[in-house]
Amino acid sequence: MTTPAFEEHFQNLLEEHKKIIYKVSNLYCKNHDDREDLAQEIAIQLWRSFPSFDERCRFSTWMYRIALNVAISFYRRENTRTRYIFSDNERLLNAIDETASEPEHMQPLYQFIESLDALNRALVLLYLDGNSYLEIAEVLGISETNVATKLSRLKKRKEQKHVGLG
Amino acid sequence: MLDLDEMKQQWAEHDKKLEDSIRLNRQVLSTLNLKGARSALQRLTVGLALEALAWSAIVIPLGGFIYDHGGTLRFAVPGIAADLFAIGMLALTIRQIVAAQGIEYGQPVAAIQKQLEAMRVLRIRITQWALLAGAVVWAPFAIVVCKVLFRIDDYSQAWLWANVVFGLSLIPFTMWVSKRFADRMHNSPLLQRLMRDIAGQNLTAALAFLASLSQFTDEGQAI
Repeated sequence: MTTPAFEEHFQNLLEEHKKIIYKVSNLYCKNHDDREDLAQEIAIQLWRSFPSFDERCRFSTWMYRIALNVAISFYRRENTRTRYIFSDNERLLNAIDETASEPEHMQPLYQFIESLDALNRALVLLYLDGNSYLEIAEVLGISETNVATKLSRLKKRKEQKHVGLG
Repeated sequence: MLDLDEMKQQWAEHDKKLEDSIRLNRQVLSTLNLKGARSALQRLTVGLALEALAWSAIVIPLGGFIYDHGGTLRFAVPGIAADLFAIGMLALTIRQIVAAQGIEYGQPVAAIQKQLEAMRVLRIRITQWALLAGAVVWAPFAIVVCKVLFRIDDYSQAWLWANVVFGLSLIPFTMWVSKRFADRMHNSPLLQRLMRDIAGQNLTAALAFLASLSQFTDEGQAI
């Protein structure tokens, strides 16, 4: 049974970490409607799982796990998705300034991320968000060494692309 | 073109701006929660529970049919065959419900994705086996249904073989239709998914994703 205080606590934590939902939705979906559907799907899963959240753990780690698990499944499900709210006025996350939230100079970065598979996309997002190797390992469930190896290879791959294009 | 570390710096600047430019719509959030919106996993579990209920509704009357016709082999045998099929399907559906209940999205990504994909593989294989076994069990089911609904007591060898042949011929026909038309079923996602399951496209994709997950968790694997 959830109380209003419990819901308020959840909403405050979500407010504090709203960027995670926004970024994950943007990285896994190209069009606006899909992003909104994914954002809502993540919010619902977070709310459903919140009673089992262990307060000793970092909320962001737990939130990344849920957001990425939902996003990867959503990304792979393609056509059999559920739409909850249709109106444009009823979006979960509203960008006040679209140019600030999706600036043009970020496009090459988004293009690079889009060229990756769903799992490596998660790895790069966690890295770009400034998480340590340990935190990335905890979210993804792989070892720190593996995180370091994969990131180093991704950097090399990026450099090779750079040289190739140059 | 920037390298990954420079991109990280650019991302951090973008991140700061995001804090001010996005707003969480609490009204939408409350509406979603209050409406009792179900997550994808909950929707799947509800679907499976309904499926289990449907199979139970077949298993129980078939049990009654076997009891009533226990002394007549020509009815008892088809009844048992049909009931075994229905019991098998019910057990497999319950197995999927148990697997779905064991999935906790707050666990690490690689582990949860493995569990989800293994569940998907199981579901696809059940669909394929249901088609194959269903084609064979079609004849016993037809005998039971004819007896219960139309009181037909007598069936000839020719009638029985005709039903077996009809059931078996459905397998290649369904596979051919699924392979040929699955991609055109954009307006019916559920039917499209079923057709792709039967055609084997979804199984190939699921197994490939499981392989990429293993590669991802294996240390020293190239990207």
